[in-house]
Amino acid sequence: MVELAPSAPGHRPPPHPDGEPLVQLRSLSTGYERTPVLRDVDFTLRRGEFAGVVGPSGSGKTTLLRAIAGQTRRFAGSVETHPRPGERALRLGYVPQVEAINWNFPLTVGQAVLLGRWREMGWRPWPRRHDRELLANILERLGIGHLADRQIRALSGGQQQRTFLARALIGDPDLLLLDEPTSGVDIKTRHEIMHLLGELNRAGTTILMSTHDLNAVATHLPRLVCVGEGELVADGAPEDVLTPEVLRRTYGADMLVLRRGDAIYVVEHLDDAMTGEGDSEETPVPTTPVGG
Amino acid sequence: MGDLTEPFQFEFFVRGMVAATLVGVLCGAVGVYVVLRSLAYIGHGLAHSIFGGAVVSFVSGISFYIGATLWGVFTVLLINAAARRRQIGGDAAIGIITTCAFALGVALISRHGQFTRDFDAALFGEILGITSGDLAVIGGVLALAAAVVFAFWKQLLFTTFDSDVAGTYGVPVPWVEALFSLVLAATVIASLQVLGATLIAAALVIPPVTARLLTDSFTRMFTMAAVLGGASGLVGVYVSWFVDVSSGATVVLLQGALFVVALAWAVARSRWPGTGSGERLAAIEGATLD
Ligand SMILES: Nc1ncnc2c1ncn2[C@@H]1O[C@H](COP(=O)(O)OP(=O)(O)OP(=O)(O)O)[C@@H](O)[C@H]1O
Ligand SMILES: [Mg+2]
Repeated sequence: MVELAPSAPGHRPPPHPDGEPLVQLRSLSTGYERTPVLRDVDFTLRRGEFAGVVGPSGSGKTTLLRAIAGQTRRFAGSVETHPRPGERALRLGYVPQVEAINWNFPLTVGQAVLLGRWREMGWRPWPRRHDRELLANILERLGIGHLADRQIRALSGGQQQRTFLARALIGDPDLLLLDEPTSGVDIKTRHEIMHLLGELNRAGTTILMSTHDLNAVATHLPRLVCVGEGELVADGAPEDVLTPEVLRRTYGADMLVLRRGDAIYVVEHLDDAMTGEGDSEETPVPTTPVGG
Repeated sequence: MGDLTEPFQFEFFVRGMVAATLVGVLCGAVGVYVVLRSLAYIGHGLAHSIFGGAVVSFVSGISFYIGATLWGVFTVLLINAAARRRQIGGDAAIGIITTCAFALGVALISRHGQFTRDFDAALFGEILGITSGDLAVIGGVLALAAAVVFAFWKQLLFTTFDSDVAGTYGVPVPWVEALFSLVLAATVIASLQVLGATLIAAALVIPPVTARLLTDSFTRMFTMAAVLGGASGLVGVYVSWFVDVSSGATVVLLQGALFVVALAWAVARSRWPGTGSGERLAAIEGATLD
């Protein structure tokens, strides 16, 4: 299946911690209305994992996240989730792609975040004191405590991401699903978001996130899933998964993979002149590891 | 001064004024969800379609409300089914269903010339012909809408904001959407006598859009839209007595005037940065105005 490159000794956590399975997709074909977008997907996510999904635009990253949330049409196979004892469904914290959000909606940060607690808030339309305390806590923790009354458009990209991360976290989720949480933010904000997610994961939250950012985000995650043309092309630790062969099957383009010690760097725009294949141990690696 | 209180001595006038106020509140509040989901064309289509249903039930001797309700539920289910298919065809299907129903109504009217007056009411509204039975229906629908909005406030808000993501958080989106469609259909039926098929869409859209210009908070937008709708119903009918203009038209023109004032205010404020008014102006561009 996946061509295994010799893995570099690293300090990342293992890709498959031995927690119990949280979500299991078995031979799943899923999509919308008439056409399956993803075919024959086998995928297991265990408690405590921090995994990334990469793949070109339209490959089905969002569809994979939505399938796990049970929000796509199932054509074949199964989605099995393992909720906590006494609960009927997995508690999900879903952070959508920024492009999918209606920023013109008359919603303040506080109102948006409280939506994540709609079930726990009971029959009342308004939040109780306990809800307001939780809200204040979570906003404070994410550094947006002073923005509770701002309309969601009147925020920076990083603040918008934190708002929707807060909505996901306020429901005390078993699993965080994040759709490109680092797109459209600057380097510093991206670093902060990844740091925050790393902290949440160390505190026990299971995370699955999609990203377009191979070098600054994907290579630093413990586990990567590559989606290309509706199939899972590879699944494993970045050092095993990120090979020219897998990248070609994922993106349909030739890319160069540079390694140095623990660091991996994918050259995404390969000039015609550069036809070098595979691992190059000597090349200096222009990369700064983030978190992890 | 006697002149100004003159209309209040007529019971039918008072009834009409109460009806217009309640319908204004109802349309303003329900319209918030219609506008925020950019469904104005559905409100418009539903009103025209239910007009057709009303004429059919009248001609065939069934009670207006029973006929309109059956037809309304049928149309709403059809529209929902059409709208769920996101491919091309959804909008067109709705357009075809509603305009055909409307045309059927018009065709029946022209064959039964003697009913013209009643159909005038269904088309343009006839507030002074409101019976206490109509008033009871309007009150009942308002109570129903209030109960649904109160009980499902969070689910409705989440579904309206982002129906895709609401599902991932466990909101039973198809049920919420179906429930809202029924409330919308009931609203249109209850408003038909007061505003007429042609003006309902305006009453659903203008107060919420005006309220959106004035605030960025959903809760405040909802309250303001209901208050603006109710106030223009009350004042509009009162004014129509003196200017001798159709009451439904007066109510909608008043709402239009309030919208222009709010717009002017928002434009003036948007020159001062940091007030958020610029964003609000951009926000309402998404809403469809018929
Ligand atoms: N609601 C929908 N109805 C029908 N088809 C859809 C829908 N959403 C996505 N698709 C199709 O499914 C395929 C996968 O889309 P998906 O959104 O999962 O891609 P993605 O990998 O998340 O892309 P991006 O990186 O651009 O976000 C695309 O071909 C898209 O056209
Ligand atoms: Mg996507």
